Amino acid sequence: MKTLRTLFIAILLVAMAPSQAQTADEIIDNYFENTGGKDAWGDLDGIKIIGSANAQGMEIPFTMIQMKDGRQVVEIDLQGQKMTQMAFDGETMWTTNFMTMEAEKADAETNEMMKKASKDFPSPLYNYKDKGFEVEMMGTETIEGTETYKLKLTQDPVTIDGKEEANVSYYYFETENFVPIATETEVKAGPNKGQMSKNTMSDYQEVDGLYFPFDMGMAGQNLTVKDIVLNPEVNAEMFAFPEKAEAPATDEKN
Amino acid sequence: MKRVFFLVLFAFFATTNSIVAQETALKGKELFGDMRARHIGPALMSGRINDIEMHPTNSRIIYTGTAGGGVWKSSDGGATFAPIFDDHVQSIGVVTLDPKNPDEIVWVGTGETWTRNSVSIGDGLFRSTDGGTNWTEIPGFENSERIASIVINPNNTDEVYVGVLGALWSASEDRGVYKTTDGGKSWEKILYVGPSTGAADVIMDPKNPNVLYASMWQFRRTGWGFNSGGENSALYKSTDGGKTWNKIHNGFPKGKLGRIAVAVAPSDGNILYAVLETEQKDKNGLWKSTDAGQSWEHMNNDFGLTVRPFYFSRITIDPRNPDIVVKGGLSGSISRDGGKTFKNLGNMHSDIHDITFHINDSDIIYSGTDGGIYRSWNGGSTFEIVENLPLSQFYHISTDDAEPYNVYGGLQDNGSWFGPSSSPGGVNARDWNSVGVGDGFRVLKHPTKNIIYSEMQGAENVWRYDADRHRTKTIQPLPRKGDPELRFNWNAPMAVSRHVPDRFYMGSQFVHRSDDMGDTWTIISPDLTTNDPTKQDQSKSGGLSVDNSGAENHTTIFTIAESPLDQNILWVGTDDGNVQVTTDGGKNWTNVTENLVGIPDNTWVYHIEASEHGKGTAYAVFDGHTTGDMKPYALKTTDFGKTWKNIISDDIQDNAFVRNIQEDYKNEDLLFLGTEMGLYVTIDGGGNWSHFTNNMPPVAVHYIDLQQWEDDIVMGTHGRGVIIIDDISPLRQLNDEVLQKDVHFFDTEAFTMPEESGFSGSFGTETQFVGANKPTSARIVYYLKKRHTFGKMTMEIQDMEGNEISTLTPGKSKGINVVNWNFTSTIPKTAKGKTFSNSGFTAPRVPAGTYKVVLTKGKDTYEHEIEVTYDDKAITTLAERKEQEKLTKTLFDMVEELAYMVYELGEYQNAAETVKAEHPKGEKVATQFYDALENLRTDLVVTTGDNYVASAEPELRERMGELYSNVATSYDQVSGAQRQNFELISEEFEAAKQRYQQILDKEGKKFMKFLEKNDLPKPSIQTKEEFLK
Repeated sequence: MKTLRTLFIAILLVAMAPSQAQTADEIIDNYFENTGGKDAWGDLDGIKIIGSANAQGMEIPFTMIQMKDGRQVVEIDLQGQKMTQMAFDGETMWTTNFMTMEAEKADAETNEMMKKASKDFPSPLYNYKDKGFEVEMMGTETIEGTETYKLKLTQDPVTIDGKEEANVSYYYFETENFVPIATETEVKAGPNKGQMSKNTMSDYQEVDGLYFPFDMGMAGQNLTVKDIVLNPEVNAEMFAFPEKAEAPATDEKN
Repeated sequence: MKRVFFLVLFAFFATTNSIVAQETALKGKELFGDMRARHIGPALMSGRINDIEMHPTNSRIIYTGTAGGGVWKSSDGGATFAPIFDDHVQSIGVVTLDPKNPDEIVWVGTGETWTRNSVSIGDGLFRSTDGGTNWTEIPGFENSERIASIVINPNNTDEVYVGVLGALWSASEDRGVYKTTDGGKSWEKILYVGPSTGAADVIMDPKNPNVLYASMWQFRRTGWGFNSGGENSALYKSTDGGKTWNKIHNGFPKGKLGRIAVAVAPSDGNILYAVLETEQKDKNGLWKSTDAGQSWEHMNNDFGLTVRPFYFSRITIDPRNPDIVVKGGLSGSISRDGGKTFKNLGNMHSDIHDITFHINDSDIIYSGTDGGIYRSWNGGSTFEIVENLPLSQFYHISTDDAEPYNVYGGLQDNGSWFGPSSSPGGVNARDWNSVGVGDGFRVLKHPTKNIIYSEMQGAENVWRYDADRHRTKTIQPLPRKGDPELRFNWNAPMAVSRHVPDRFYMGSQFVHRSDDMGDTWTIISPDLTTNDPTKQDQSKSGGLSVDNSGAENHTTIFTIAESPLDQNILWVGTDDGNVQVTTDGGKNWTNVTENLVGIPDNTWVYHIEASEHGKGTAYAVFDGHTTGDMKPYALKTTDFGKTWKNIISDDIQDNAFVRNIQEDYKNEDLLFLGTEMGLYVTIDGGGNWSHFTNNMPPVAVHYIDLQQWEDDIVMGTHGRGVIIIDDISPLRQLNDEVLQKDVHFFDTEAFTMPEESGFSGSFGTETQFVGANKPTSARIVYYLKKRHTFGKMTMEIQDMEGNEISTLTPGKSKGINVVNWNFTSTIPKTAKGKTFSNSGFTAPRVPAGTYKVVLTKGKDTYEHEIEVTYDDKAITTLAERKEQEKLTKTLFDMVEELAYMVYELGEYQNAAETVKAEHPKGEKVATQFYDALENLRTDLVVTTGDNYVASAEPELRERMGELYSNVATSYDQVSGAQRQNFELISEEFEAAKQRYQQILDKEGKKFMKFLEKNDLPKPSIQTKEEFLK
């Protein structure tokens, strides 16, 4: 009930003085306080998100697990076949090739990026200073028709195609309630390289005291969350690259 | 508990709603919610480039400042570019990177500097500190209009010099060279010559940042002429960081000078090149100094070095070799002997404004032209175009009523074109068709025949193009005996009649009418202009270098509007400020100019829109920018011009001069205004205006059309091609009452399910711009008073009995939301195999009819009905279609039945496996059961191979899925082959079912008996309903 009260008070304050200047840290603190409390977010060891990716008549169920130590796995169900779309065990990131349905390791740069993202849980903004990240208040901006605070987050640089590049993203917090409703990052590779890709978040709901968006738009793709389990039970096998059982015997003489 | 919690939360949000409710207004960005513009280019002819800037250490990064399309950045060495300046003015003078921190700090000076008649204006100085993602305006340059140079001291990057070329059409004290020593906080003007003389080039010695050169240029343009040159044009040098300046003219001819280009060799600060425009023709062209400007030697006055100095004044020196010099020009010229001799650069679009060398390899050259950026890999011999810069500069556009409709228009220096508003795979370069050469302006489709009218500058040629037979004919009005000389504007007006299809109008100083598509002409007006002789001598235009291209022709008619309600009502606007109207087809004309309110005399009448809502009603917009007056002007009359009312409000930026207005044909209060700074929209007849910024940069909008079948706003922009806002009908329904509602569904007309399928083969288009298509789906449009952030919000399509057809993802934005539904229900559940079956990716289309949209937001439900119809262009009868729908349904059910069978079978197999593993007594029964099932399974679904070339032979699932998918996606009747194939598959399926039943009856029974006997649990199997849920 304490959460509700803080949320209530915070919103009331904002409603009374909507244009009061906010610092980046105040916005981030408000966000974590209003969505469950900073301690509760800190105590979280991992989450399991069960949902589906939707596109015009097609629903692809997925289960995503993210752990505090950076391990994660996304499993999808396509025509009854469950497959690991992406997994990372803390060292190795891998995916499933859709032609062969076999596991393949991600390239070194992508793997390195994933490693760097290990400290992002539960959010890169959480204790961002301890992580060595920088946050800057950029002012207010209208996003999805509503007023938001725009925050710039700079994480450790990443290497793309052999060159080091800054790793910058933007968070848009609805001024009325301090939850992020959109994020923006620069596309780092592919035909849209250099352009901004926007994700949106809505349908925030409470799960054991913490608030999560249950609806996410990711670069045109929509993810609907059906259930979230906090601190799920996991085992090492779920994340690990499957060594092929019948790997052909290699000729060791050469 | 959770439930209570939510209720409290919602109750609370409901109260906050009422607090913010008072803020709703008829304007603002949020009004448009997620209504977004889409860009269709084209990029194949691209548009004018003003400046190219190379990253000093990372050869992958290139910036370009474009004449009317903003700033673009390449991070792949110039293969492709992305726009990075879309929130700001799109006319760019210069882009400069901080030499110490080039990854992050980018300066942009706005306002193009190649001062042709059609240039746009800038709006100040900007800086990004994050590589171009966010921009801040640097105060002090608000009135600069055109910034030509930004130079940064490499040793101390807080020290920056800015060269302001300044206003083109008026005097300005903002011109000159400015300096900051605190990174842009404060500025000092360190070189100022006078209100008519701006800084054309400011450069810095490569080694000594205290040594600066500045070329000052005296110039002025009017609506009817241009003057380059004067006593004040000069080349200056400073050796003390700009404190003092001295002219360095030793060797230059005496007398007036024009525009001066200057460059210093990056590898040797003593070597300078300058290009001069002088009073002595033989002294024009290239000059060289080898003693840092103390003396000059004339090198070359070839055409390539002297052509049109106001337009081409850029010298680029190879960073590694001071003898290799390139000069912008009609073709561009390159010297490899220190400027003694030149040859043309290789073939590319003409009019080269800037050239840069690769930072490490001089074989690689980038060239900025009137038609985009070109790359050379062999030192400038051959060039290839960058294919994804949609910078096309339209003067005018129009649309037809084809499906999809076409957009027609003419471009600055890039001819006339038409292309589809949508095309398979997106609007590609190859979708565009050329229908005119030279500068293109107005392009109009004959209302009923497949005939296109187009023109080139000054109506030198007006073409009538028979698009079916590919024949062109020139049809411009020609002078007859006794006619005075005809004065056509550079951008001469043409109009087709809504009432008489073969009627075609053109304007010189007279209105010309043809009733036979341009073969014969009648003059139906007196001279409607002021006929002011002082504005009619263009032969001397240009100043030191005569530049009589026709671009300055003046005292001409510029706009002709025939009333859509009456063929005898014609409105005419002239470039020298007259508004004239006739109500009897041209017998009598009334000059109503005197009645205009708040419009300075002789202000260019850029467009008149004759209203659909009343014969006496019209809108006129006025553009004073060629006198230095940038204010927006738009008036409305309802009494044939006797009285006029101002419809501009303070919401419009004060330098956003207006070129076009478009009225909605249904709601008189809904208007669209095309300005120098983008699009504005009003929903209350001009009381309040809102800047439309959703994927719409503040680019100069030269012309707007409303395509009436689709209700699309189509804009011809001068720098970003054609930009479309699909279906503006929701804006018609917006009013105070709607804005007060929490949720409001807008009424939409019935949606046609388009029946079209084809191929889009996209080979070779990897680096090409592809324009976005209009969604062909149903558009569910609603207004949300508040952004939905907390709690569930879902959307479902239901049939009228309330059965779920499909679930959609609703938009959650405050303002207007648009959700697309592609007329399908959900995919069938498909049997599990080793690979994927087509059936699992095919959702059947719904039959025509009425459907319910159910939006659930928290505990509230909102319903709305939409109607869906079959395509008129269908190639089937209704009976055939019903058969197709029926067979689709039968196959859909069959696919799901098979899916359940394979699932159930698999569950039995799992149970058998368990027994095999844990109960040796039952091994035999279990194995027999398992094997029998496995035999069957391998005939039902693919169990081996992969999704590529190691694929197995298709089994029943694959063949059934293929047939289902083919029938479901077909727009034709069910074919005989499909019927026969269906028969075969049905029989096979029947046989499989029988086999399955036999196995269950025989091996299955034994197995179940074993389970029973040993008190083992029966396999828990979902019912079919549960499985399919």
